[in-house]
Amino acid sequence: MTPLGPELRRIVGDAHVLERASQLLAYRSDALPGLRRAPALAVFPGARDELIAVVRALAAHGAPFVARGAGTGLSGGALADGVTLLGLHRLKRILALDPEARTATVEPGVVNALLTRAAAPHGLHYAPDPSSQAACTIGGNVAENAGGPHCLKYGVTLDHVLRATVVLPDGEVVILDRGDEAPGYDLLGAFIGSEGCFGVVADVTVRLTPDPERVITLLADFTTVRAAADATSRIIAAGILPAALELMDRPTIEAVESSIYAAGYPRDAAAVLLVEVDGAAAGLDDDAAAVEALCRAAGARGVRTATDPAERARLWQGRKKAFGAMGRVAPHLVVQDAVVPRTRLAELLDTIAAIGARHRVRICNVFHAGDGNLHPNIPYDAHDADEAARVHAAMGEVMAACIAAGGTITGEHGVGLDKLPYMERLFTADTLDAMCALRDVFDPARRANPGKVVPVHSCREWHAAPAARGLP
Amino acid sequence: MNRDQELREGLDACVHCGFCLPACPTYLALEDENDSPRGRVLLMAALADGTVRADDRDITAHLDACLGCRGCETACPSGVPYGLLLEETRARLAKARPVPFVARLVLAVFAREWLLRPALAFARLARGSGLAALLARVLPAGFGMPFAMLASTARPAARVWTPEGDGARGTTALLTGCVMEGLFASVNRATERVLIATGHALRDAPGQRCCGALHAHAGDRATAQVLARDNIAAFERSGADTIVVNSAGCGAMCKEYGHLLADDPAWSARAAAFAAKVRDAHEVLAAAAPVLPATADGPRVRVAYDAPCHLQHAQRVVQPPLAVLRAAPQVALVPLADSDQCCGSAGIYNLVMPDVSSRVLAPKLARIAESGAQVVATGNPGCLMQIGGGLVRSGSGVSARHPVELLDEGYARGAGRD
Ligand SMILES: Cc1cc2nc3c(=O)[nH]c(=O)nc-3n(C[C@H](O)[C@H](O)[C@H](O)COP(=O)(O)OP(=O)(O)OC[C@H]3O[C@@H](n4cnc5c(N)ncnc54)[C@H](O)[C@@H]3O)c2cc1C
Ligand code: SF4
Ligand code: SF4
Repeated sequence: MTPLGPELRRIVGDAHVLERASQLLAYRSDALPGLRRAPALAVFPGARDELIAVVRALAAHGAPFVARGAGTGLSGGALADGVTLLGLHRLKRILALDPEARTATVEPGVVNALLTRAAAPHGLHYAPDPSSQAACTIGGNVAENAGGPHCLKYGVTLDHVLRATVVLPDGEVVILDRGDEAPGYDLLGAFIGSEGCFGVVADVTVRLTPDPERVITLLADFTTVRAAADATSRIIAAGILPAALELMDRPTIEAVESSIYAAGYPRDAAAVLLVEVDGAAAGLDDDAAAVEALCRAAGARGVRTATDPAERARLWQGRKKAFGAMGRVAPHLVVQDAVVPRTRLAELLDTIAAIGARHRVRICNVFHAGDGNLHPNIPYDAHDADEAARVHAAMGEVMAACIAAGGTITGEHGVGLDKLPYMERLFTADTLDAMCALRDVFDPARRANPGKVVPVHSCREWHAAPAARGLP
Repeated sequence: MNRDQELREGLDACVHCGFCLPACPTYLALEDENDSPRGRVLLMAALADGTVRADDRDITAHLDACLGCRGCETACPSGVPYGLLLEETRARLAKARPVPFVARLVLAVFAREWLLRPALAFARLARGSGLAALLARVLPAGFGMPFAMLASTARPAARVWTPEGDGARGTTALLTGCVMEGLFASVNRATERVLIATGHALRDAPGQRCCGALHAHAGDRATAQVLARDNIAAFERSGADTIVVNSAGCGAMCKEYGHLLADDPAWSARAAAFAAKVRDAHEVLAAAAPVLPATADGPRVRVAYDAPCHLQHAQRVVQPPLAVLRAAPQVALVPLADSDQCCGSAGIYNLVMPDVSSRVLAPKLARIAESGAQVVATGNPGCLMQIGGGLVRSGSGVSARHPVELLDEGYARGAGRD
């Protein structure tokens, strides 16, 4: 058999296969800080046929591979450890956009925000709006079942994907469809969120959502984080379903306000809530007034309403770039993702603050409060071994607290490589076995994204030896 | 902070979020993360750490392919000072390996008036005789573009008017620039007229030279420093309150003289004082808020504004050029998608890397065509020539003009009515 490299070069052209170590430097990381894995080879198909041929060549060689979109993932999912990295970013065409049917079919490398930009002239948008939407790809969104601030009302990726063409790891091309009347098991549902372990998305048909008639964006500022969390519960309890409900605490506000995306958040607030209500113009002012009253009742010091689209955009830019803005606080950053029951949000924030204080680390909270989806982040200096140790100890405790409160270890960033050690804290060996069995349906050879999400070999084997993996 | 620390801290500020990827024209054109800002930051870090060699083409090719447009900086939430990192890295690389021949030649000419003047005079001759236009048409891609760029600098004879002004807004001196004065002298004259008309007094600054931007960006910091010192002295002698620059690339460089000469105790304070006085022409004009009689009756031209990278991303001057265009009564502004993306000119990039440059230019030309504009306005000679040359070669009827020229024409019309 011809070696893999030359064969891939024949398919995609010399410029799109990288094999030398110094060419692969830039592909050793994704957006998860701190974790690096060197791929053995990288290949970037530029058309659907090339993609299929590449996957078939990989299959013929029995070569494991890792799909990569924009590499904005926060769990190390797109890292290839000594195997082939399959970049999908060149497949970036919008294949069809049907304003009547309100659907679009796109290649996997289309950037999320560009789909919304293309739909905008028709009064439509693609609803799932991860904060990374300016950069992340639809293929990566499908693989991670990405959410975003507006998923509180509009649902996550899963709720907006109608159909996907998937190249299975053995090279077979299948169409996973979820037409309303499609009988049988929801295989598309199983595929969405499979973190690149079930196959490669070759194209996706998604639902486009009509732009709301009107949008009102409010910024409430609080002198305690607890009061902000309390306001969140009150708003949901009152039966209002905001389009988005986001909380940022002071360290986050400071980072944003010092960045190029300064949004005008009050620097002296302990926390701000960014609340958006949208829908039919009639009655929307009442919703906004009710949100304001509930915030004030919970102790808000002030509530501001964005007066024009530019201010609204600025308020959102600040939120969406918050994670990046933390980069200016310290050279390194741990980003976490956990979900807790919304009713226990206030209590957990207190617990997290206490953990931070005990380990002398600075925890920044910025999260989807409406969903109880926490993102505790810690900026730190990894060159300082003592600080690094304290940061990791604190993170372990934070995650344990979330699990103990009945929560889970990822809301939207996925398990990837980063969360692997937590899986067996959360699931029994039987459940992990069931996950492996499901995977075997799509990828019996376990060549797609090996070593991620669930264990490398058999689940039981992995489960039997937790100590060997250095649990935090 | 010394340059080592500055480099290290700048590199460390990157959190790998990827927000810069879609803002990077070379990533979009070449589709390799090595040619993206995030990738280049990783490569620069590897160079700084010494884990790769300065003569490793797998590393340097991607740093050479960077436009230096700094579109990544205005996309970066973490404040990575990309332009500074690139300049520092290129300065280090220049010591370790030879600068490409074409670049060396161009840089040498720009640093020597006795070579630059005749070169520009010859270029004007080629333009005036129609030779440039001819060659732009008949030569194949890579060879025809430079002539198309030159042909596009030709201007219809402008109606010259005599401005009146009271000088109440203080004294200004214009950095005339090498290419601006050599090929776009009419833009400089227009700038002088509108400065006077908006209440500025003009001072001469003889002895001024090339700003040194081309040299600094290519890693030749020493030559850039020589040029900067001469300019600082020349403008000090002029006694002007404000140093006006109508070329975005030169303006960005002049504003950074303080940093360029930070290591030079004899000059650092003078450089900082100079830099503090530098304004882009649009900033000065927009602040003066020129009010021109609206010409609802006169014909209007559809104008699209394309932001020069060194104005939008380096100087972060975004609104003033639009204000200048709005003040010109004959202008009807139309939106231009991706107007904040680089056109591929990037100093001498289009001469050194013609292939990548033309791939970056292609989407720009497509967006211009979609906008329906008759004129593209942009305030930088490199962009005027790159876009202008692209328009000439694609046979488009659209022309590329400096916003200040359009404002000047607005004044000329008003003057005609008086
Ligand atoms: C600043 C910032 C904010 C973020 N905010 C959010 C947020 O609000 N909500 C959220 O859900 N996430 C968020 N994320 C995480 C990340 O952006 C998402 O997980 C996103 O879906 C990843 O897309 P990507 O194209 O970058 O994929 P990558 O990071 O390249 O890959 C992610 C995973 O998807 C797989 N994959 C990629 N493409 C394909 C394909 N075509 N077929 C099969 N598998 C594939 C990869 O193998 C990998 O396992 C954020 C990240 C950052 C940096
Ligand atoms: S946007 Fe800034 S922090 Fe993010 S990857 Fe690019 S350079 Fe790094
Ligand atoms: S300066 Fe321009 S070309 Fe260079 S990395 Fe930044 S965005 Fe890309």
